[in-house]
Amino acid sequence: MSLKTNVTYYPAMPSAFKEKLLSDDFVITSEISPPKGVDVSSAFEEAGLIKDYVDAFNVTDNQRAVMRMSPLAMGHLLKEQGLDVIMQFTCRDRNRLALQSDLLGAYAMGMENVCIMSGDYPTKGDNPGAKPVYDLDSVQLLGAMNRLEEGYDIAGNPLESSPSFTKGAVCNTEPDQPLQLMKLEKKAHMGIDFFQTQAVYDIGHFETFMDSISHMDVPVLAGLIPLKSAHMARFMNEKIPGIRVGDELIARMESSTDPAEEGLLICAEQIRELRKVCRGIHLMPIGHYSHITALFEMAGLHEKN
Amino acid sequence: MIISSSKPFEEILENLDDSGKIFVLGCGVCATKLHVGGEPEVEAMCRKLRDAGKEVIGGGIAKAACSFKSRESLLENGPAIEKADTIIVMSCGSGLSVVSSLVDVPVHPATNTDSLGGYSEGHVRQDLCAMCGSCIADSFGGVCPTARCPKGLMNGPCGGAMEGKCEVDPDRECAWELIYLRLKEIGRLDLLERIFEPKEY
Repeated sequence: MSLKTNVTYYPAMPSAFKEKLLSDDFVITSEISPPKGVDVSSAFEEAGLIKDYVDAFNVTDNQRAVMRMSPLAMGHLLKEQGLDVIMQFTCRDRNRLALQSDLLGAYAMGMENVCIMSGDYPTKGDNPGAKPVYDLDSVQLLGAMNRLEEGYDIAGNPLESSPSFTKGAVCNTEPDQPLQLMKLEKKAHMGIDFFQTQAVYDIGHFETFMDSISHMDVPVLAGLIPLKSAHMARFMNEKIPGIRVGDELIARMESSTDPAEEGLLICAEQIRELRKVCRGIHLMPIGHYSHITALFEMAGLHEKN
Repeated sequence: MIISSSKPFEEILENLDDSGKIFVLGCGVCATKLHVGGEPEVEAMCRKLRDAGKEVIGGGIAKAACSFKSRESLLENGPAIEKADTIIVMSCGSGLSVVSSLVDVPVHPATNTDSLGGYSEGHVRQDLCAMCGSCIADSFGGVCPTARCPKGLMNGPCGGAMEGKCEVDPDRECAWELIYLRLKEIGRLDLLERIFEPKEY
């Protein structure tokens, strides 16, 4: 009897998502949150509503420092449903041992797309007493991923087999913030396949941002959060760093009789504009999934085959 | 200097059931400067403990609670320590630990040790140094991101700051904003381009 068991290992196939990034297609990603619990059915349902339009789903990692199911588990379950997944990894919750082992685990389960970020501080979330880790920052984590791809861990120990990731990171889109641009440059320098941005509302501003990074030649997926009300717009302006909703849009939301519909209309207009300036969009629907199909159709984006 | 702050008196009292004879030891260095363990504070502590019904047999100030050669040198600071059943130390945790190593009775802190900071222009400055053992603060214009950015980010800010204020506490300056301003001031913005490897802990 052999002790060898049959394992499913997905060798380094070119990522379908990476191929999309390299194609001429307008790329669409959307966020899916793992449940705060063990029942993934509503996450499946949300993903199912829009899956025909979306190239890959970002599985969030305890976003806003609110404890939820592991993105590794949720990502694997979505993958089993036939969906392409981008695993989010924050530097907040894991030291370098855990980051590296989860990255290897994700890859072995066929999740080669990874989007990394610092992560909101624990006091912003629902376990405010948690010990923050931040053993590596996002630039250093990209470096660690490079090492893994070269066949070594971060300490220089050889791996028995190595992964090949599609590496992403996040960025704000303020062209007048030199430090944000400096960090973006460092991430690009470490080798990156795509950026996903904080929510964009001012297309002119975003164009200036795109001009300021044009020398980097990295695909950018512009973040989008459809507005639901003028109140939401003001709240984000006040509370969410890197988001700026202009007065004109707030006025439109205020004067509308159906603000949720107006928000989708605005978002559709933005998508049409963004198609001219960047590689794709990254949608953060925040519980708005049932309206997203309509949004895509309004924006002239149709089901992918 | 080591930044410490006074514990709530109720918390100190909680540690003193069956305390017997108490000796209160202050510290002549950081805790004196910060007014949490100097002579007036030791006197006030003795008074409050007596008012609370405790038996206080004496108080004294160590030149530096973190630096004693021996038990004998400790006793020189306050001979009554020898008769104490409990010692309360008004110094940083380092001072408390050194005193504990020299006596055979329980030693309780009257302060919380907060950070390695500084004191200038009449203000306590917290978290200036994280004592990481490998100082590269000069690369950041003297503003150490390991100590002063709550996330300890070494390669630039997170996306969480708003108008130069930290994500963690809106009253606190973003360390990276301070680094940027300082490097600009000294004409060394080029230092921002350097990529820092992970720290060895």
